Amino acid sequence: MTTSISLYIPGDSGLHRLYPITKLLLALALTLGGFIFPVTWASYVIFLGIILPISIWGGIWKQMVWAVWKIVLPFAISIFLIQGLFWGSGTVLFYIGPLSVEKDGIAFAFASVGRILLVIGSFLMLAMTTRPDLLMNALAKLGIPGAITYIVVTTIQIIPRFQAKAATIIDAQRSRGLKTEGNFLQRARSLTPLVLPLVLSSLVDVEERAIAIEARAFNAPGPKTILIDSVDTQNQRIARYIMVIIIILMIGLRLWWLLTSAN
Amino acid sequence: MSIINSIKKDFTTRTLVLISVAIVINIAVGQLIFTLKLPIYLDSIGTVLVGALAGPWAGALTGALADIIWGLTINPTVFWFFYVAAVIGAMAGIAAKMGVFERSSPRWLSALIGGIFFYGLTLFILSLTSFSREGLIPNAIDLTRQNALVFIIVLFIGLAMGYFFLQKAGYAGFAGLITGVVAAIISAPTAAIVYGGVTGAGTDLLVAAFRASGAGILASTMAQGAVSDPFDKMVSFLIVWLIIQALPARFKAR
Repeated sequence: MTTSISLYIPGDSGLHRLYPITKLLLALALTLGGFIFPVTWASYVIFLGIILPISIWGGIWKQMVWAVWKIVLPFAISIFLIQGLFWGSGTVLFYIGPLSVEKDGIAFAFASVGRILLVIGSFLMLAMTTRPDLLMNALAKLGIPGAITYIVVTTIQIIPRFQAKAATIIDAQRSRGLKTEGNFLQRARSLTPLVLPLVLSSLVDVEERAIAIEARAFNAPGPKTILIDSVDTQNQRIARYIMVIIIILMIGLRLWWLLTSAN
Repeated sequence: MSIINSIKKDFTTRTLVLISVAIVINIAVGQLIFTLKLPIYLDSIGTVLVGALAGPWAGALTGALADIIWGLTINPTVFWFFYVAAVIGAMAGIAAKMGVFERSSPRWLSALIGGIFFYGLTLFILSLTSFSREGLIPNAIDLTRQNALVFIIVLFIGLAMGYFFLQKAGYAGFAGLITGVVAAIISAPTAAIVYGGVTGAGTDLLVAAFRASGAGILASTMAQGAVSDPFDKMVSFLIVWLIIQALPARFKAR
């Protein structure tokens, strides 16, 4: 069994068992929701009121909140510092030394952090409860070409092997005296002797892999069977139609607002 | 029908395998750079390589899928930039059709390209920051005259960079610069709208500097990209040029 790298956390909750496309549409609808409502706190409400309860149901909320925290925190600090301190106009809330903190800047930072929270949160909700290969199988059934699903699934499976290869190359070049630490110039100079062997040796693999999959009827015409299939239900099919309608309505509403506010 | 034919011609079984290996190269090299703590990304070498070896359509697909997979597995923030990566791959493919990865340029030409790039970059940054302060587009000659010393220093750095760093890969480096400028322009709206103009990384200091000089959010993000992206893509194209020179002829022939 090849190990593969992904955000997926194994589990057997109702969220894990949902059909992948249902979760994909849900993540898309929730993300769009944060960009479409004109109030800044809408994204926080969606995150706390919908994404968090769903991930508690899926049993992944601890990992999800931790991952969101790790990803969003550097963004949040940057946004509040940059947009808060350097907004340059509007009502001044207070001063920190020579810098002024403006109300508009803080409001913008608040809205941006909410959106990032929503984008990352809804995406993690999908990625942490869905096996990438099952998602690809489901997409293939919708008519996405097999070539694309092949690329995604193989790539995810060979990432760990390449990381091992990169580590081997670093060790090998270090043992020959290459300096990978030290000042900027030394580190920059070590770039070529590390990158070139990695890329060239990977390209040599390409030929073998191509022959291997062609020998296993990769190009054979006709329908192909799926080893592990996801279970779909009638209710989910209805839910998906409703979500598609909601997504279209949200985009339409936003366009309508844009057009009417322009006049 | 010619478009469909050109798409089909780009995708053989070998190309598909090459694409998946290239995406892994993007991720592995990106992480290598992170270990070396260098202030660039270099996470599109694989994309540029596929563009160079298998054409613009394959390059575009590689870029888009690379960011989607990277988003799904390691870093969710890159996901929404997939269209930028697709354009980078396509541009690398078009550049390859013009032969930039196979031909060697004279070194004086590389020096000239380096000089022009550094001059243009400085001009761009200065005009952007003074534009938002005074509300009218300053004229390039005035700006050059006002900051003559800065421009002379910058021009010399550029010339030296081109001569010693790009060496014979002048054409590839130039294609990389143009790709980087395009990437900076088209990625700025997403960075500004989705991520509030920041990345949480060291380049945010640049955004802060532009905001402090009075530029708008979109303009600051674009300026930050215009400083870091062309350089990043130039190095990527340079490395791909080196790779193509080192590849066995059998591999290139396909």
